[in-house]
Order: sequence, then structure tokens, then C-alpha cells
Amino acid sequence: MDSRVITITSGKGGVGKTTTTANLGTALAMMGKKVAVVDSDIGLRNLDAVMGLENRIVYDLVDVVEGQCRLRQALIKDKRQSELYLLPAAQTRDKNAVNSVQMEQLCQQLRPEFDYILIDSPAGIEQGFRNAIVGADEIVIVANPEMASVRDADRIIGLVEAAGKPEPRLILNRLRPEMVRRGDMMDVADVLEVLGIDLLGIIPEDETIIVAINKGEPIVYDKRARAGKAFLNAAQRIMGEEVPLEDVEDAPTLMERLRRLMGFGPALTEKRVRS
Amino acid sequence: MGVFEFMLGRKKPSPGEVARERLKVVLANDRIKVNPELLELIKMDLLKAISQRMEVDEQRVQVNMTREGGLDKILADMPVKRQKIAFEWDPPAYTPAANALKGNKLHVEVERMDEE
Repeated sequence: MDSRVITITSGKGGVGKTTTTANLGTALAMMGKKVAVVDSDIGLRNLDAVMGLENRIVYDLVDVVEGQCRLRQALIKDKRQSELYLLPAAQTRDKNAVNSVQMEQLCQQLRPEFDYILIDSPAGIEQGFRNAIVGADEIVIVANPEMASVRDADRIIGLVEAAGKPEPRLILNRLRPEMVRRGDMMDVADVLEVLGIDLLGIIPEDETIIVAINKGEPIVYDKRARAGKAFLNAAQRIMGEEVPLEDVEDAPTLMERLRRLMGFGPALTEKRVRS
Repeated sequence: MGVFEFMLGRKKPSPGEVARERLKVVLANDRIKVNPELLELIKMDLLKAISQRMEVDEQRVQVNMTREGGLDKILADMPVKRQKIAFEWDPPAYTPAANALKGNKLHVEVERMDEE
């Protein structure tokens, strides 16, 4: 079986790695793929909660690596997708409990069983991050359109390159269309211009994501949620389908146009094309 | 650009544009990979070159990267212990010194000690 190991990472914390992993994993499973999502954030387990599987954990990644249990025993079947499994992180261990060789072996163990293996990386650029990318075929970087996040993403791109991995792709998360329209937030073109990598998806800021996480249900199940639709599109792109990029920067309203014309509003940012 | 801004002849950048421009500068700096090892090598090269002419206090030598007026600079702080000026003196033929040297050159070394 031709399986793909994809690591979701970001450098900066709190930009949406875990949410992205849960939603891409669920979306791929919804499209009939066999998927494993792996939480490699040892000591700060969270992917289980985002997927609503926190009460079902018996064994974890460290138990598998140390031979305390078989891989099958640690894999938790998803509530709704029969071909989606979670390998949770250990909560009471620290990130040095696993080394790079063990992580690579774990990926090899998972490959024959699944089409896609998504690894949720810890924040930072230390051992935990290195472990998360060591066995990966592809890297997806999650960034928000703000300085600290993009700066960290740039650092990660350099480290991924140095590790001999192919060029990562970007999920631009938490974009606020109305702020971009007013010129108060960097737009997609700005971020792509400075990072110089390809875009996998644009996820608009969406309050319903918090509601979804509260319930432990990935947003991709919510048909009305824009963020859910955007994650579904990104998952299709992972599968190699051509899906046009979502138009998150809708046209300005009449009032905004008027205000701008009068000079009261922020200037219109002209659209730049990536060279 | 709004009508009023146009009349004033200026355009204030939006916060989004400010972020983009600041980010470009920050990333340009981040990407210049002047690591400590490279700086140490540069320091050794400088020491080697300077030591031929002057004796510097190697313990107090500092070589750092700095940024001034939009340019990256290497700032080398090299305290001189003792100036050593050496040259070959080839006096003009008409001088008595030239006769004394009989066509040879004179090796001259001048030292100036630190006042300590």
C-alpha cells in the first residue's frame, strides 16, 4: 500500500496544529481513506480531546515505543469514521521519552495499515519537533496571518529543508476576511510572498470551531461552517485533487467603498501576485 | 487612496502593510546565517592579519554582527597592546647613511608601549 506520512507543524504554539490534524484526518477518512492521526506532543496531549476520544485511552505512543503494548492495542477507533484511528500521546511522560529512531520505526509500523498517517507535532524546534518530522514524507506548516507566527513558520521551513525533506505546504489558518479587507491584517499574498512556499489551504477564522472543539466534534462535519468547508478542500488537495482556492476575501461592502472614497477608511490594499 | 489623502499627497500604510514590511526586515535578518562559529573564524582571520602589524590583546578581542543605518556590519573591537612598526629603510644615495650601509637596507622596528 502506498501510504503517506504527513507531519503538521508550526513552530509557534496555538496557531491550530491540533485542530488542523483532527480535521484533515477526519476529512480524509470521510472520503474513504484509511487514516491514523498521531499525537506526538508528549506530555501535552490534546488531539484526543479535539476529536472527542479522551475517555477511551488505555495505551499511548510511549507504551507502543517501549513495547508495553502492541500498536493495535493503543490505536483508538474514531466515534464516527470506521477507518480513522488515533494514537494518543503520553500525558505523564516528557518529550525525551521517545527518540528519532523510535519515531521513524513507529511510522514504518503504521505504514502498511493506513493510506494516510498524520502526525500532530509539538510547538517549538527541539527534539519533539525533530521526532515529529523524522519519518514524514511531507510537511504541512500551519500559520496565522500575523508576524510572530509567520516568522516562526519561516524558521521551520529552513529546518525542514535542512532535514532533507521536500518543501512544506502552508495552511493559512484563522484569516479574518473583514480585517484583510480593511487593510488591518496581512492577506494571503503577503504571507506567501515572504514565505515562498505553496498553499494547501486558507481557513477563515470561525467561531464555530471553538464550539466544535468544545463538543469534541471536528468542524468538517458542520456543513454550514466556512472553516469546515475549507478543511475539506485542503484534504482534497492532499489527495491530489484540483480544488480552487477558497475566496475568503470577498468584495468590500458599499459603505466601506464610500468611506474609502471619502478618505475616512484605511486605504485599499492593491492585490499583489506572487512572482 | 481616499480623496483627502490624495489631496494631502500622502498615503498612510495600513496595519496589514506595516506588518508585511516589518516582517520582511525581520526575516531578512533571521535568514542571514552568521552563526557563532563563522564569527569565530572571522575573528581568527582578523587577528592573523592585524598581528603582523600590531600586537593586540587577544583575550579582549570581540567580533560581533551589528546593524546600523539599515546595513549589516561586522564590529571588531581589538585593543592594541603594543604598536609594532617595522620597515626596511633604504636611504637615498646622497645621504651619509647610504654610505655607511654600503647599499644594504636597514631593518627598522619602532615600538610604542601602552601606558599602563
